[in-house]
Amino acid sequence: MKKAFAVFLIVLSALSVFASGSQENAEDSGRKQVTMWFWGTADFQRDAMQKNLIDAFNASQDEYELVVEFRNSVDNDVNVAVSAGSGPDIVYGSGPSFVATLASSGKLANLDEYAEKYGWDERILKPLYDACSYQGSLYSIPGALNTLGVYYNKEVLAELGFDPPTTIEELETIMDAAMEAGLYASVTGAQGWRPTNENYTSLMLTHYAGPTNTYLALTGQKSWADQEFVDAMKKLDEWYRKGYLAGQDYFNLDFNAAAQFLVDGRSPFFIGPALVFQFIVKTATPEAAANIGFVPFPNFNDEIPYPTYTLGTVCSFSINEASQNKDAAAAVLDLMLSPEFVAGMTETWPGYWGMPISNLDEADTSALTGLSETYFNAVEDIASAIGDGHFGFFCGTFFPPSTLTRFYDIDAVWTGNETAEELMQSIDEIFATELAEGLVPPIPEPMT
Amino acid sequence: MYAARSYLRLRLVRRMGCLMKSNWKYYLFLLPAVLISLCIVFIPGTMTIGISMTDWNGFSQDFSFVGLDNFREIFSNRYFWVAFRNNIVWTLLFLTIPVAIGMIAAFLILERRKGRDALQTVFLIPYVLAPVVNAMLWQNIIFNPISGIIGWLKSLGYNVFSPLSNPDVALFAVAAVDIWHYWGFLTIIYFAALRQTPDEQIEAASVEGASFLQKVRYVYFPHIKPTFKLMWSMIIIFSFLAFDYVYLLTQGGPAHATEMLSTFAYSIAFQEFRLGKASAAALFMSIFGLLASFLYLKLSKKEERE
Repeated sequence: MKKAFAVFLIVLSALSVFASGSQENAEDSGRKQVTMWFWGTADFQRDAMQKNLIDAFNASQDEYELVVEFRNSVDNDVNVAVSAGSGPDIVYGSGPSFVATLASSGKLANLDEYAEKYGWDERILKPLYDACSYQGSLYSIPGALNTLGVYYNKEVLAELGFDPPTTIEELETIMDAAMEAGLYASVTGAQGWRPTNENYTSLMLTHYAGPTNTYLALTGQKSWADQEFVDAMKKLDEWYRKGYLAGQDYFNLDFNAAAQFLVDGRSPFFIGPALVFQFIVKTATPEAAANIGFVPFPNFNDEIPYPTYTLGTVCSFSINEASQNKDAAAAVLDLMLSPEFVAGMTETWPGYWGMPISNLDEADTSALTGLSETYFNAVEDIASAIGDGHFGFFCGTFFPPSTLTRFYDIDAVWTGNETAEELMQSIDEIFATELAEGLVPPIPEPMT
Repeated sequence: MYAARSYLRLRLVRRMGCLMKSNWKYYLFLLPAVLISLCIVFIPGTMTIGISMTDWNGFSQDFSFVGLDNFREIFSNRYFWVAFRNNIVWTLLFLTIPVAIGMIAAFLILERRKGRDALQTVFLIPYVLAPVVNAMLWQNIIFNPISGIIGWLKSLGYNVFSPLSNPDVALFAVAAVDIWHYWGFLTIIYFAALRQTPDEQIEAASVEGASFLQKVRYVYFPHIKPTFKLMWSMIIIFSFLAFDYVYLLTQGGPAHATEMLSTFAYSIAFQEFRLGKASAAALFMSIFGLLASFLYLKLSKKEERE
């Protein structure tokens, strides 16, 4: 009996060895895999990536195969894997601040060689190219341009008797009228995603304190506790208390629900980031989506030129230092930076793939309609304004991690647990430490 | 004399050898548990203590020893103390509400002969569902402003808002969801303990004319006391580790109203990339679990002696 069992084990082991050997042979005979982890998308978004990224890359050569894994916990998964010296070839990240932390730890590949080979330094908009660098070298490419603006429901505005707002006075008048009519002044929400708060701190830094003041503070030439910034946060507090940020439902709505409310006409506005386009597309029929427009956010201060955009990216893509397929990973990144890719993705998935490149005008946009067309035009406008130096700074893109996290605490000001002065004083102290630690990415200088 | 001594020594050595020979097998049985504890508790635990005294960011191989700076920093952070207070409130809530509900429900199903098994199964369902499922159920069916009961009441014209969005009551709203998921489990545990009470003692009490409450006080409760103590200790330990429902429903918000030590440590580790500081917060959190464990062991030993 024992002998029979021993023979069985040996046979089983032998079969396992053969099986693994045959698997290796299969891999050897096939293409090498280039891997990327991405967040868990909806099916239509996954299909768009399959067509415009995965299939397009795999068809462009016969040596590599791009494999994208969709993970709901991608941020944590990437952090843990990359810190352990493993993980995917292409590293999805939350932006330049994230990149600085990893690059300083030697976990990301230096992309200077690829930037020169593919001409990225000429194609990527300079402010974001610089922001993605660390100690003079490129460590990531920026994802889509992100900015803050005002989405409006055309029918609701018409019913209220207003045109799309271009000044703060007009915006506030319309929001007051909407509340009087029993609507939300605007919709948004931080339910399940506290970083939503930074959209509104960024908004006030750009349009109230101004890009120049923010630039000076980010480069250590000005204190965050200065009156301009304290007043900006007080203004935001005033807005919250007036109910301009979804009234009492700010903590109870997420972007899906807020987009649904905008489309349903329960509010004239959704003040939010450019990536809100993707939430509207998910909730609205093509006819309903055609009823939604987008305008740049107006300024509180006449000295700031209009339009000025808050500059940011929705994410970043880097190459893992531990990758054995860096050349292929760079080729994938280069594909992402092409106008064809931007137009292809935007056709079905507006809001997430408006890459910050200077040759967007080369894209074939004949297939873009409705929100896709609106989004593509907005990205072109933003790129043009950034070229003119009319931009502010998105906290999530340019601020170091602890400073950024402290900005989320604006909700403590709204609920009366802290004052704007206390918050900004504390931010000033935290920022000074992070600036000394070299955690602030390169800050492009705006022109105002 | 010398020969006798040598003989005795030889016998002693042989006996020791026999003992060792017969005992080593028992030690071998302990080995997997010891190895597992060593690998996944002792070594990471020791590393956490070490990391809490560094400025490690979780990625870099370069880090410095900073002594107790991380502890000083977290102790001077106002939201750390908010989180600590919330953990205390959470513990008190869990030591009372689900325990009371569980105990009452256990007595009720003890009195009921028919349908007892079905009731136990029903009570246990929320406990066996994944926290993410329970959280989604509550968010979509109760708290959702479009499709939930809150949304329905609003559509009827009532001025109601989700308790999750109100800093004054958000902690209680999250605790309510967790208690909803937990009380059924306590019911089953208490019910199983109550069933161990000898029938003759219950009958004797009935013959003596004891009321239901007197039976509970003098017959049932002394029998379930060890289980009761164990569950209290476990509740204290779990309360200081509470994370899942808080993170899924509010992420510690709004405005830190539901911040717990676990979510506080998590955000320092994964948003700020300050693993040293997060380890300091995690260590502080673990102290309360350890205290509860020691308390339970001491009470158990006292009971054994009695």
